Amino acid sequence: MNKSISKILVVITVLLSTVNSFAQIKNAKTETVKIYGNCGMCKTTIEKAGNVQNIASVEWNKDTKLATITYNSAKIKQDEILKSIALAGYDSEKFLAPDDVYAKLPGCCQYSRELKPVVKSNDAGGNMKNEHASHNHSEMATTNTAHAQNAPQLKAVFDNYFSVKDALVKTDAGTAFDKATALIKAIKGVEMTKLSTDEHTVWMKVMKDLTANAEKIAASKDVAKQRENFALLSKNMYELAKVSKHEKPIYYQHCPMYSSGKGAYWLSKEATVKNPYYGSQMLTCGNVQETISNK
Amino acid sequence: MNIPQKNFTIRLLQVVFILLCSQSLSAQKVVRYELYVKDTLVNYAGKEKRAIAVNGQIPMPTLTFIEGDTAEIIVHNQLKESTSLHWHGVFLPNKEDGVPWLTQKPIQAGTTYTYRFPIIQHGTHWYHSHSGLQEQIGMYGSFIMKKKDDDKIFRKGIDDLPTVPIILSEWTNLNPDNINRMLHNANDWAAIKKNATQSYAEAIREGHFKTKLTNEWKRMLAMDVSDVYYDKILINGHHTTDLTTVDGKTLKAGDKVRLRVSNGGASSYFWLRYAGGKISVVANDGNDVEPVEVDRLIIAVSETYDIVVTIPEDGIAYEFLATTEDRTQSASYFVGNGIKQLLSPLPKLKYFEGMKMMNDMMKMNGDLDDMGMKMSLNQMDMNVVMYPEITGEAKLMQDHSQHNMNMDDDPNRYDANALGEIKTLNYAMLQSPYNTTLPKDAPVKELQFTLTGNMNRYVWSMDNKILSETDKIPVTKGEILRITLYNNSMMRHPMHLHGFDFRVINGKGEKSPLKNVLDIMPMETDTIEFLANEEGDWFFHCHILYHMMSGMNRVFAVDDYQNPYLPNKKKAYNKLQNESNMPHFMAQNDFATNGNDGEAMLQNARWSLGTEWRLGYSDMHGYEVETHLGRYIGKMQWFMPFIGFDWRYRKMGIDEHETNLFGQKNEKDTRNAFSVGFMYTLPMLVNFQAEVYHDGIVRLSLMREDIPISKRLRAGFMANTDKEYMADLKYIINKNIGIRTHYDSDMGFGVGLALNY
Repeated sequence: MNKSISKILVVITVLLSTVNSFAQIKNAKTETVKIYGNCGMCKTTIEKAGNVQNIASVEWNKDTKLATITYNSAKIKQDEILKSIALAGYDSEKFLAPDDVYAKLPGCCQYSRELKPVVKSNDAGGNMKNEHASHNHSEMATTNTAHAQNAPQLKAVFDNYFSVKDALVKTDAGTAFDKATALIKAIKGVEMTKLSTDEHTVWMKVMKDLTANAEKIAASKDVAKQRENFALLSKNMYELAKVSKHEKPIYYQHCPMYSSGKGAYWLSKEATVKNPYYGSQMLTCGNVQETISNK
Repeated sequence: MNIPQKNFTIRLLQVVFILLCSQSLSAQKVVRYELYVKDTLVNYAGKEKRAIAVNGQIPMPTLTFIEGDTAEIIVHNQLKESTSLHWHGVFLPNKEDGVPWLTQKPIQAGTTYTYRFPIIQHGTHWYHSHSGLQEQIGMYGSFIMKKKDDDKIFRKGIDDLPTVPIILSEWTNLNPDNINRMLHNANDWAAIKKNATQSYAEAIREGHFKTKLTNEWKRMLAMDVSDVYYDKILINGHHTTDLTTVDGKTLKAGDKVRLRVSNGGASSYFWLRYAGGKISVVANDGNDVEPVEVDRLIIAVSETYDIVVTIPEDGIAYEFLATTEDRTQSASYFVGNGIKQLLSPLPKLKYFEGMKMMNDMMKMNGDLDDMGMKMSLNQMDMNVVMYPEITGEAKLMQDHSQHNMNMDDDPNRYDANALGEIKTLNYAMLQSPYNTTLPKDAPVKELQFTLTGNMNRYVWSMDNKILSETDKIPVTKGEILRITLYNNSMMRHPMHLHGFDFRVINGKGEKSPLKNVLDIMPMETDTIEFLANEEGDWFFHCHILYHMMSGMNRVFAVDDYQNPYLPNKKKAYNKLQNESNMPHFMAQNDFATNGNDGEAMLQNARWSLGTEWRLGYSDMHGYEVETHLGRYIGKMQWFMPFIGFDWRYRKMGIDEHETNLFGQKNEKDTRNAFSVGFMYTLPMLVNFQAEVYHDGIVRLSLMREDIPISKRLRAGFMANTDKEYMADLKYIINKNIGIRTHYDSDMGFGVGLALNY
């Protein structure tokens, strides 16, 4: 008796699994929709986000990028399913994922966002300012300017310096490490022949220290060590800032508390103090010492 | 989509009416609206439920005027109950203000009523029913007063932008009367729905056992940023809306749209965010402010904000998202044409961080201690400790030993704008473009109010007095009223003043902003001032509907106004007082294998009439009923003296007498006894009850109900000096049903179905 029951069960399960979940969804409607993504990991995330038990099931093909969506049309709309998938980070023809969610996808999943127009500002996608998007953006900006004609030679150096500073404001050793590496590259990419005379003089003076300090930041993932070297790096940068040209003013800021009261300086693009030596613990500690505006 | 059309038809109607009326009145335009208020059935969240529609729609139609018009609004009450309409933030003669029993009689079922008043201001306002809980189920709508085109304060680039009225609201499938009752009975079904029970099991899982223990030691129930669970959030009556055109023009890149946002929710604050960049705030509560750019803002219950959003790109519709403060629900409005750029949902609140913060602030006597922070104007939001997007997903402790630094000493630790990169609006950022100073020679009357309340019994008051315990506050016409408010309660309160705009003293001097709603967070102190130059009885109250109905109200009586609609002022005021202190009923019974266990209570803000019973299924198990009439004393209402009556009957076969712990003999089989005693809530929310009966017998007992073990599991116990004891465990299935198992020294072990109302 028991055996026959278990046999029946086996048969039922086999039947059910071959018919798959289709059998459970009433008023089933099946549609194929393109969803942008890369890999097997994307597949798991997309399907998990779109599936609703007994109401919707999503199967995504990573080669064709096509998702087969089967859903109970009386209970849910296609839009709702696509919205859930977009909120998990994946664009479709109807919805663009929030930028911060996209930025948090694992590296292998960061598909190219063909549907998104080139972003003019970093603000799209909202209030959760997302680090990755803005990083990509600033990197893009630096490479662009490096190749552009008449671009100030030192702009890439400053931009990367500010990125390192921003990372330290967030007490993010990993990003500081990455940005310091980019800074070294930018320092090496400077064509000295194109510098103005003043710039050239200072550059020759600070280049060695500048590179050494950037390398030390890039050699460590300990934020305390990075900050020590950042204090030194900032002194070199200040000398450079005094002689180079900037589109917008640069603010020379000071934290009196760092290093047991010895204090430390840094440069910032904004007048508002965001302390890179303490991060969120003492974010607004410090003041503006000097506004450097050489146009 | 259909909103602009609606506007269009309304405008068309307006034009028709204007044309009709202009003949009769030459000097001024009369803009007339006919409103038909009618019961309806709606299905917003999967179930067909009762709601109230006006002219067949929810929200009520947008009423639009131009400064200088005269409004004539004719209300046809086709409900089976009375109604009223209050014009929120509008300056008008007191008799048109729409507060039943304060400025008029209720509009009875089946009757027609006309409101008529000149429009002497401009700005975004709204209107709603001021009768009972009607506002919760549909009676809210936008009320827009435009500047004249030739107004000298007409702001080019703002006042000429394409404009859309937006009214936010919430929907619940529960009857609002029932919600009100459940709030007073500390029913935690809403917390279960919101996943915010904050039980011991959840506390342990998140490493916050000690936090929870301290919280209960300080006699606090689990706190949330809001009390009611809603099923759907609506923007202009829809969960999702596409705004592709305004005034017939298709929206394109670079276009700016002015959204005139009113929060018509009964009890929800909303976070407003926009996927297309910064939000520019240009007016608040109908009053212009210098434009201020922010990433997000919270709109308090009944506030209005005029905001300007820009469409950065063609081919994209940017999400404008309104999310409830508890972050459980939201509604979307897509501005632009094309693929929809979404915003990420706000991450779930870190409730135990909030609990920890509350523990630090709460003194043992129930007062709040701001630890010298002098908080005001929403600049320091204690709740930031709960916001993962600002204070991080998990607390990161860094090694800073060498610097002797501690986050707890950081003066900015609750300042969201200093902590994170997200710029949040607060009142200190609002500045009027105009000089708003009051006449220097006017006499000044200073008033102070402490906002008080307790969550456990859901009593909300000012200076620990509810409306029914206070008289009207007399004010002389022409006086300046300067009011200092201090919030000593655990919830934030949107305090609304009828009939006037007040200046918020926020450090902007002559250009202090004008508002009519002031959101005040726990421990904040704010000062407002206004010139009382219009006579009449003006309501001043918390606009969270359920707080207002609990009595968190006052009336300013400017001069001795003779209201033609209310010849008997005293009687009318009594009616008003009673309406905000209505008794509420609760009952529960456990139908168990060993008998019935239950209680019923009728309570208002101060009094409690309750009866408990234990009914066996046979004479041997016995029947027992205890009735108490008591009055809650003190702000926290931990102390309740009472008088009582006990009746019990039992037939054991042998006439057994029992002795209590004090050696007193106690006849258990039949007993009729009067008693006096008191109940006191001890730390850990244990109720201590002492009672002495007319025959000299004393009984002391300790009891704790509803210990939150896990999300749905509750435990309780009772022990007394009659050597009776009981312990129980209950699993909550839904808001009315639970499965309960208990052991009782009289009736033994039992399992049953616990029903509560």
